[in-house]
Amino acid sequence: MQDSVAPQTAGSRPGVPSRLRGEQSNLLAAKRRVRDWPAAWLLITPVLILFGIAVVFPLIDTIRLSFFDIKGLAKPKFIGVGNYVKLFTDPAFRNTLLTTLTFTISTTIISVGLGWMLAMVSAFAPRQTLPFRVMIFAAFGISEAVAGYMWIGILRPDAGGLLNAVIGLFQPGFAQPWLGDPRTALWVLIIAASWGGVGLPLMLCFASVQSIPKTLFEAAYIDGANHWQVMRNIMMPLSLPGVRVAVFINLLGALRAFDIIYILTGGGPVRSTETVGYFMYRESMTQFKLGYGAAATVVLLVAVLVVSIPAIIQRTAGAR
Amino acid sequence: MIGRAPRWPTIVLGVFGFIWIIPIIGIVMTSIRPLAETSRGWWRIDSFTLTLSAWQRVWEAYPLAPAFVTTAILAVLATVGTMLLTPAAAYAFHFLKFPFRRLLLIIIINAFVLPQQVVIIPLFQLWRELGLIDNFLAVLIPYIGLSFAWSIFLVKNFLEDFPTEVVEASRIDGAGPLQTFWYIVLPNSLSSVFATGILQFLWTWNALLLPLLYLRTNVPLPVILARVNGTYELNWDLQSVAAIVTTVVPLVVFLIFQRQFAAGAETRTGAKD
Repeated sequence: MQDSVAPQTAGSRPGVPSRLRGEQSNLLAAKRRVRDWPAAWLLITPVLILFGIAVVFPLIDTIRLSFFDIKGLAKPKFIGVGNYVKLFTDPAFRNTLLTTLTFTISTTIISVGLGWMLAMVSAFAPRQTLPFRVMIFAAFGISEAVAGYMWIGILRPDAGGLLNAVIGLFQPGFAQPWLGDPRTALWVLIIAASWGGVGLPLMLCFASVQSIPKTLFEAAYIDGANHWQVMRNIMMPLSLPGVRVAVFINLLGALRAFDIIYILTGGGPVRSTETVGYFMYRESMTQFKLGYGAAATVVLLVAVLVVSIPAIIQRTAGAR
Repeated sequence: MIGRAPRWPTIVLGVFGFIWIIPIIGIVMTSIRPLAETSRGWWRIDSFTLTLSAWQRVWEAYPLAPAFVTTAILAVLATVGTMLLTPAAAYAFHFLKFPFRRLLLIIIINAFVLPQQVVIIPLFQLWRELGLIDNFLAVLIPYIGLSFAWSIFLVKNFLEDFPTEVVEASRIDGAGPLQTFWYIVLPNSLSSVFATGILQFLWTWNALLLPLLYLRTNVPLPVILARVNGTYELNWDLQSVAAIVTTVVPLVVFLIFQRQFAAGAETRTGAKD
C-alpha cells in the first residue's frame, strides 16, 4: 500500500505556517483524498467485518427471526406478526413489561437520586470525603455477577442473612425469605442493582459540581447564603448536565440487565423478577422458542431506542 | 470550597461509604472463618477463628484455576484485538476521506445503545451451524465486534483535539496515510488507546451472558460462580472464595484506573453489562 510521494515545493514544508502554504496545499490535499481510499479501507475492513458479524447481522437477523415460529431444530415457519400477537396476549409477558418498568425506573431513581445527593454533599468537603467516595464507587467496579452473589448472603432467609438479623434486633425471630417471596424479590433485586449503580452518578455529578466556577460560591456565601441555599440554588441546577448523562446511562443499563437477575433470582419466584431482557433469554435459550424470544428482543430494542433518541440525535449531529 | 470545610459532609459520606462496603466485608469474612462460625452470621464475634481452609480446599472443589486461566486468555485477547483495531479505524474515520465514511461512522457510534440480548439468538444459530459452540472465537468475535460501538467513538473524540497541522505536515513531507498513522498519530494517541483497553478488559473479564451460552468446557470465572451458586450446597465459605477470585483482578484494575473509568463510562454507557 505504498503511497506515491507528494511533489515537494518550498511552500509546503511542514515548518512553514499553514497560511503561507495557501492554495497550493489545498490542491495537494484534494489530490491526496483520492489516494486515501485504499489505505482507509485497509484500516477499517477488519472493524467492518467484525462489527458486521457481531452487530449488524444479529440486529437484522433478530428482527427477521421474530416473524418466524422456530421450535428447536425444526424448520422455521413464517407466521408474520404471530409472535407479537402472542407476546401481548401472554400474561407472563405483560407482567414482564410491568416488572421491566418498575425495575428500570426504580433503579434509576435510587442510583441517580442518591448519587446526586451524595455528590453535592461531598462537594462541601471534597478532600475529606474522597476515601468514602471511592468506597461507594468501588461497588460499581464489582461485576453484577459477584454483586448478586454478595447480596444473596445479605438476603439469606434465615438468621444468617444480615437484613433479617438487623430487623431481628427490633423484632426478634424475624425471618423473611426476601428472594423466595414474590412480593419482596423484585424490591430486593432493585436495591442490589442500585447498590452497584450509585457510584457512577456520584462520580459524574461530582465532576459536574466541581466544574462550577468557584467565584459563584464565593459570591453566594458573601451574600449570606447558607449551605442548603447554595446546594439548592447553585449546585442542583448547575449539575444537571451530569445528572442527565447519569439518568441515560442508568436507564440503558437497567433495560439490558441480565447478570444480576440471573445470579440473584433467576427470574423467580414464579417469574416475578423477569425483565424483558431476561424473558428473551428464558424463552429462547431455555425453552428454545427462538422466534418468540426474538420478538421479545425486538420489544426490548424499541424500548432502548425510545430512551436513546436524544443521545442518538446528539451523536449523529456530532459525527464529522 | 470556601474557608474551612464543614464536618457533616464527611460524616454523611462516611456512613454511606461503610454501608456500601458491608457486602464486600461480608464475603471476605465468610471466606476466612470456619463455616460453623459464620452460618449464623459472619458479623458475629462470640468466637472468632481465622482460617485459610476454604482458600485451600476451593481449588479442589471447583475448577477455579483453569477458569482463571480461561478468563485471563479471553480478556487479554479481546483487549488486544480492540486496542489494535480501534485506533486504525478511528484514524481512518477522522483523517481520511473515503466513500460512505460518515454513514458508516454514524452506524458504528450509535450501536452503543444496543443491548447484548440482540446478538444472542442469531449468533447462537450461526455458531451452531459453523460448529463454533465451545470455541473461544464464539465469544471473542462478539466481544471485539461489540466494543467498536464505544471504542471508536472514544478514540475518535480524542483525535478531535489532535493537531491537524502535524498530520498535514507529515503528509506534505511525503508520508502516506498508513505511515502517518503508524509514525505520527498512533504514538501520540496511546493514552486513549489504553483507556479503551482498560474498559474492554473489565467488560470481558466480567462477562457472563455470552460465555454462559457459547462456551461449555473451558468457561470463565463468572460462569463458574453462577454454576456454584446454583447448587444448593451450603458452602458459603468456598463460594465466597470463588466470588473473591472472580472479582479481585477487575476490582484492582478498576480502582487503579478509576478516574479514566468515570470519564470513559460516559461514552461506554451501560458500563456494567
